[in-house]
Amino acid sequence: MANRVIIVGGGGGGAILANLLQPHGFDVTVIDKSTSHFFQPGNLWIAFKGVSPEKFLRPIPSLLKKGVNYVNDEVVSVDLNERRVTTRSGRSYEYDFVVLASGAELDYSAVPGHRELLERFGDFYSSPENSLKLWNTLRGLKEGSFVIGVADPIYKCPPGPHKGAFLASELLRSRGLAGKVKVVLAVPVPHAYPSKTVADILEPELKERGVEIHTFFTVNEVDNRENRLVSLEGEDIKFNVAVVVPPHRGPSYNISPAEVKDQSSYVKIDKYTSNVQGFDDAYAIGDCTNAPTSKSGVTAHLQAEVVAARLLGYDARYSGRTNCPIITDGKGTFVISDYDHPPIKVRLSRFKRLMEDLFVATYWSAVKYPEFWSPIFKAYFDATDEFIRRGEGW
Amino acid sequence: MPEITVDARGMACPGPISALTRAYRNAQNGDIIIVLATDPGFKPDVQAWIEKTRNELVSLTEEGGVIKAVIKVTAKK
Ligand SMILES: Cc1cc2nc3c(=O)[nH]c(=O)nc-3n(C[C@H](O)[C@H](O)[C@H](O)COP(=O)(O)OP(=O)(O)OC[C@H]3O[C@@H](n4cnc5c(N)ncnc54)[C@H](O)[C@@H]3O)c2cc1C
Repeated sequence: MANRVIIVGGGGGGAILANLLQPHGFDVTVIDKSTSHFFQPGNLWIAFKGVSPEKFLRPIPSLLKKGVNYVNDEVVSVDLNERRVTTRSGRSYEYDFVVLASGAELDYSAVPGHRELLERFGDFYSSPENSLKLWNTLRGLKEGSFVIGVADPIYKCPPGPHKGAFLASELLRSRGLAGKVKVVLAVPVPHAYPSKTVADILEPELKERGVEIHTFFTVNEVDNRENRLVSLEGEDIKFNVAVVVPPHRGPSYNISPAEVKDQSSYVKIDKYTSNVQGFDDAYAIGDCTNAPTSKSGVTAHLQAEVVAARLLGYDARYSGRTNCPIITDGKGTFVISDYDHPPIKVRLSRFKRLMEDLFVATYWSAVKYPEFWSPIFKAYFDATDEFIRRGEGW
Repeated sequence: MPEITVDARGMACPGPISALTRAYRNAQNGDIIIVLATDPGFKPDVQAWIEKTRNELVSLTEEGGVIKAVIKVTAKK
């Protein structure tokens, strides 16, 4: 009988893994509570460029190869000892291998006033609907300040808030509001970006566009009456419109044994093999894990490749490689690092912006046909790994 | 007076300061937070953090490549 693989979540990581395994004779089932997959970086285009959300949404079954089973249901528990996954509708599924790929959960109740802020203005993190709401909110903003804050140092796509600040300043300039609406970026870390090397590249670019930067500002409270963000470090910032990146958490569904979750509910894994700690028939990939690397689509993709190879009997390992794009109005760069090397200095250039745009254009195809795109990505990763090892930029 | 130890050894910048931020969120005035780190950037970062937050840096020492910051929480509202 074919090995039964249950994949919890059909987002970036889960769908790629399913498509990599299906041709090799596995009996693959993807369980997702949602019927559509949304390309999360697209939120930025909806919120700051007014692109229609439909462009970034696809039905999950259309992204899975023929032969992959898709179940639209919410997983409520995973019993690693009994090898059983149970869903909201009361069904249960036995497996030979399980892969948790359910992403990070966003907690809007951790910071007082945050949920109300989201309801007032929308944001560019949670969903296409809330991104559309932010687009409409910004349409009405004619003066004052637009503030982007962060509530916890661990969140997906570390350059996300910065990309938001660049795109917001571009939008305001195009509307002739550059001198009237100030963009403010508040980050929990000591420099404009978590890595000092990358901060040194971004800070002058942000300042050139008039973006005001606050460091050591971890949003701890949203005061919706006086319209101010209050930080854990004891400062406050006034706003006309604000967006706060919420604290992220690991899966809220039950996993037994409970010790496989850390304090923030992330699934504890071996950072190289993606095995859930203590289980050789269970894996977790992408944003739901505690791997000490950026929560990014690139990580989810590379971990999916490692798990697929391991299930096929190869001793594959994930190096912790990241490749997070940062875009300004017209230029691009990447945050490139791995477990053993901090980010290197990568110059902003128009060519890298083009690379990012090309990647976005190939996304749906890369999810459905990873076997076609993998060699192309691999050539790029191999070539740039050299720079990481030498600690040089390019 | 609870003592919270944050072991951020092996974490690259800004891991240690992020770990301190997360511990600080759950701390109360009077608590002691001890951070252990190996990233050399942690020394100037923790000094800047103290200046910003106005908590008390009881000691900042380095032994065998391990930086140890002992912080007394005094500035939480
Ligand atoms: C604004 C923004 C910009 C970004 N930009 C980039 C970028 O430029 N580059 C990059 O690499 N990354 C970027 N990211 C991050 C990237 O989108 C995520 O890291 C990536 O989607 C993680 O993939 P995943 O498979 O782990 O989880 P997800 O893609 O989040 O998928 C999780 C899936 O699990 C399902 N699920 C969750 N819980 C359950 C349950 N209990 N039962 C059943 N199904 C469940 C969900 O419905 C979802 O379909 C960005 C993110 C944001 C928000």
